[in-house]
Amino acid sequence: MKLQLKLALYNTITKIAIIAVLAFFILIFMNSISVNHIQQRLIDKKNKLVSNLSDMEINDLLTHQKTFTDYNILKEEYIILKQAENVDTLGKKESFSQEEREIEGNTQEYQILTEKFVFEDRKYQLEIGETMAAVEQLEHTILYFTLFILIVSVGLSLIADFAFTRFLLAPFYRIIDQKLNKVDDPMHYDYEPVKTSTQDFRELDASINSLMAKIADIFLIEKQFIANVSHELLTPISILNTRLENLLNDEQLSREGENKLFASLKTLNRLKAIINSLLLISRVENNQFSKTDEISIIKMITEVHEELEDRLTDMNLSFGMNLSEDFIFTGNKSLIHILLMNLINNAIKYNRQQGSIQISGKKNDEQFELIISDTGLGMKTEEIEKAFSRFEKLQSEKKDSYGLGLAIVRSIAAFHQIKIDIKSDIDKGTRVHLYFSL
Amino acid sequence: MNVLIIEDEKSLALEIAGFLGKEGFMIDHAWKKSSASEKIFVNSYDFILLDLGLPDGNGFDLLHQLKNLPGREDGVIILTARNAVDDRIKGLEEGADDYLAKPFSLSELLARMHAITRRKHKLEKNEVNIHGLTLDIRNRTVIFNNERINLTKKEYEIFNYLVLNKNRVISRMNLTEHVWGDILEINSDSNFVDVHVKNLRKKLANLIPIDWFETVRSIGYRINI
Repeated sequence: MKLQLKLALYNTITKIAIIAVLAFFILIFMNSISVNHIQQRLIDKKNKLVSNLSDMEINDLLTHQKTFTDYNILKEEYIILKQAENVDTLGKKESFSQEEREIEGNTQEYQILTEKFVFEDRKYQLEIGETMAAVEQLEHTILYFTLFILIVSVGLSLIADFAFTRFLLAPFYRIIDQKLNKVDDPMHYDYEPVKTSTQDFRELDASINSLMAKIADIFLIEKQFIANVSHELLTPISILNTRLENLLNDEQLSREGENKLFASLKTLNRLKAIINSLLLISRVENNQFSKTDEISIIKMITEVHEELEDRLTDMNLSFGMNLSEDFIFTGNKSLIHILLMNLINNAIKYNRQQGSIQISGKKNDEQFELIISDTGLGMKTEEIEKAFSRFEKLQSEKKDSYGLGLAIVRSIAAFHQIKIDIKSDIDKGTRVHLYFSL
Repeated sequence: MNVLIIEDEKSLALEIAGFLGKEGFMIDHAWKKSSASEKIFVNSYDFILLDLGLPDGNGFDLLHQLKNLPGREDGVIILTARNAVDDRIKGLEEGADDYLAKPFSLSELLARMHAITRRKHKLEKNEVNIHGLTLDIRNRTVIFNNERINLTKKEYEIFNYLVLNKNRVISRMNLTEHVWGDILEINSDSNFVDVHVKNLRKKLANLIPIDWFETVRSIGYRINI
């Protein structure tokens, strides 16, 4: 989840929580206040009633046995007076309760004051009720109002938070994008600070800049080192090579001497090949190659196929290319050539006589997948993992391999952001999957 | 033909000089940029073998200087251990005729020099006779009794290279590198070239005896003329 979204969500949730808690307390508080008021009113009414009590009035109330509701249509209040027989309850003078009462066929919730009293030696029970409907209505209104406020404020705050965090975090995302995501070569890094008034982001920007400067320094040193090593190592090899070649031209050279010189030349050639391979890997990893060529996969494979055609015929291999559509991307032509050359050459080298090599391609929305499959010896799972390491030679590998071919493939693939996956079955063949991101 | 070798590594320069000397070239040396600059200015050469990393400066400057002199046709081959793709492209853009990465084989150097000569001077003699066969370098064919021998591109390359380096043993390794180029790991199984040589020899043996086309056991091949 993005930081911007998280912040907005956090703000919204806290707002909801605060309003909800507040509303809850207001409701409880209000309820108890109104109940209190009603009770006070009931007591006042009772006092008034009791103080004005007369025989006539009692009779009236008792005989009619009807509520005191003539004047109120909504049945907001009622008074009931009964003769009480139970003397025991006389101890308790007045009590409140909240109960449902049916008054003239209308059931409502009432706050009820019940009092037993003695008037002219007779016991009576008086009940005065006042409806709770008004309180409930108020409660409902407050509840709806709170809900309305809640929804509106959540909506508004979501929009406002989103807009604000977007504005606030814009420099942060700019830093991530420009200074980290888009940088694949520290030599071409833009040290211009991203404009922001937020100090934290400025610090982040500055530390990324200084980190990148350090990396660039290391790259430069490594680049220098590679150049020096290549010069310092290849020059003596060159001298030896030419000297041995000249010695070979000596007509007085014995047969044995000739053989030994050639063996030395071969060793020297091996040394050269190893150094060149290592230098190639270092240069690729050091981003010393440009990625500006437009490359067509079909064209490239056709080229490699032509170059390796004699090897294919030598082993009687059939070669099939099954690409429904071409894939064109930008990269380094000579490196991609080396990559395909190494992979297809491996497919030939470790194939069996009369085997086949099939190249197919699939394209979907995210990537282009190129599959090179052979019918060769295959590898064990643990061998596949090892195969990409430098100087790792497999038992099945031919003697004249230096074990650098796949290491080169891996570094070139990484340079071009190509994912490699190898699947292999012993004695059935190997499939190399290359995933080019679009 | 005269050659100027601009190379600060003396032993290498001397080895190249020894080899080219036997091939009949006149050799001149320069160890530094300053002396090379002088020599380029004073003399004109058929070939300049130019090392890029000189103790007192960059070889590219010399190339630049040479290209600014009017009417010069010196063939320039850059020899360098830097072997960076950029250098190669830059060198060829600046007007060098070829580029050889160190370490290189002397026979390869000779082949490149021949190629440049043919290109530059439209060589008067474009045909070489070998024991009754005619190697037509311009049309890249081999002719016997006025009839073209049907050779593949690689077979022709091999034959041409061996003829060019006549009377000298050329190793399989060297031959592979010449025909297929310097493709790193690929060169490792160098006996692959044998198939092509076998076919080539078969085709030639159908026409004439080829005892001059020697297989030097465990090393390579030699054409004696």
